Amino acid sequence: MTNLEKYNAIFTEIFGATADQLGDNFSKETVSEWDSVHQLNIITLLEETFDLFLDPEDIMACTSYNAGKDILANQGIEL
Amino acid sequence: MILELQNIAPQRIAAIDSNNDKLTYAEITQLSQRISTNIPERAQCFLLVENNVGGIAWTIGMLESRKLVPLILNVKTEESLYQQLLDTYKPSYICAPTHVTLEGEIVDSQFGYQLCKVSDNLCILHPDLSHLLPTSGSTGSPKLVRHKYENIEAAGLNISTFFELKETDRPLMVLPLYYTMGLSMVFSHLLVGATILITGLSMTDVNFWKFLKEQQATSFTGVPYSFQILNLMRFFRMDLPHLELLTQGGGKMPTDLNTKFAEYCRDKGKRWIATYGQSECTARMAYLPAKWALDKVGSIGIAVPNGELSLIDAEGNPITSPHTEGEMCYRGKNVTMGYAREQADLVLGDERNGYIRTGDLAYFDEDGCYYIVGRMGRFLKLFGMRVGLDECEQIVQTECGIECACVGTDEKMIVYITNADKQNEVKDTLVQKTHIVATSFEVRVIADIPKNEAGKKLYSKLSFT
Repeated sequence: MTNLEKYNAIFTEIFGATADQLGDNFSKETVSEWDSVHQLNIITLLEETFDLFLDPEDIMACTSYNAGKDILANQGIEL
Repeated sequence: MILELQNIAPQRIAAIDSNNDKLTYAEITQLSQRISTNIPERAQCFLLVENNVGGIAWTIGMLESRKLVPLILNVKTEESLYQQLLDTYKPSYICAPTHVTLEGEIVDSQFGYQLCKVSDNLCILHPDLSHLLPTSGSTGSPKLVRHKYENIEAAGLNISTFFELKETDRPLMVLPLYYTMGLSMVFSHLLVGATILITGLSMTDVNFWKFLKEQQATSFTGVPYSFQILNLMRFFRMDLPHLELLTQGGGKMPTDLNTKFAEYCRDKGKRWIATYGQSECTARMAYLPAKWALDKVGSIGIAVPNGELSLIDAEGNPITSPHTEGEMCYRGKNVTMGYAREQADLVLGDERNGYIRTGDLAYFDEDGCYYIVGRMGRFLKLFGMRVGLDECEQIVQTECGIECACVGTDEKMIVYITNADKQNEVKDTLVQKTHIVATSFEVRVIADIPKNEAGKKLYSKLSFT
């Protein structure tokens, strides 16, 4: 699995979203289920999948599909 | 007045929200008087709330008026459930934030909410009926808990007594107003003249932390998941000198996390109080005094002041010796009147007379502290929210057209089905209908759902984990 596929799988697991739904418009503002529980689940799965330890700032910043990519980029993970 | 608000200095601030709107005690009293004057007869109202000062004002305003009997609901209640509730209970009024479009005659408006008359039909309401809350916020059951005015007074008094609440308290309220524990926070703090810091912001939002620090919150109340969030947000490294009390309810907390918070509070000179409660009893029924927070970690403690816990065995006889399991029962003035399943039930009086069997299996130790060991009822508490297992089975039946068996723990629901093709559909449906994170559901495919000869599902034959 590529890193991007692994990344998308996190959103599929948490939101039941399909790959074609994921993109610029997939965020806290557009996805009604996206609350703190979901947000923390993303963080937990990011940490598990990519073997990371993220900071509170990352948790707070993780408010969209794209923001999650930025967090990974800051950790030196290319998608 | 129920909460004796007239005894509080009128200009004191009752609540501040994260939009920086403020509400005084006098404003609540004035709103309740206006409702009382303007509404001709006692009537049923759907009150759709957000966690802001308007939500508190209208909730307490209606209760104190004794004219409008609200069903308090999340403004984001799932549409089909909302429609079902409307069809079932046919309220005369709906009150909602002004951004919600309502059809009907607007009769009042303040604090960012509108009160709208939607029907001329009045249903008969029992004179003691104060408000209604959903039993299960997520599974779409229209079953409601019927509260009476005396419950509000009792919950306010009991809770403010054992938490030792005082006028200078500034509790941070993240629990929703339509959730029994959130509402009881409001009752108990208004009773002592405190200032509630209410927010609908997510705990993972940077503004949430700003609000907590700037407003110098003195206490925080959460469900187990709230404390998992605090833990992940590196709460233990933050400097929060004003925070004096942490309280937890809404289900059992993982022991290691509970210990971590109890130790932190001991070391920092703060209080850690774990509690136990049910919607059927206006929230809190038991609490573990801070002095036992570590020695008896995992215990729900003793009954709240003016309440009484007891155990009965399978034959209904009282259990009097420690370390003997039985069904836990509760007696107190915070026990609600019963359930409503249809509009006609709103005329019913008190069916419980202050006594309830909780459906939880427990034992007590030599000091009389109770420990929950299991549950007889068919529901889980996922993220502190009660989720009915039978209701979930019903959702799967209706939406996916297949039979399933739902079991599980407060960490995860396990859904057993026999049709492998439906695995994803079942999961997606439950996520969509309950708005609970998908990782809370695991759908397993088995050959047959075990049943007895009468066709009743044998849940004990299925793995709960």
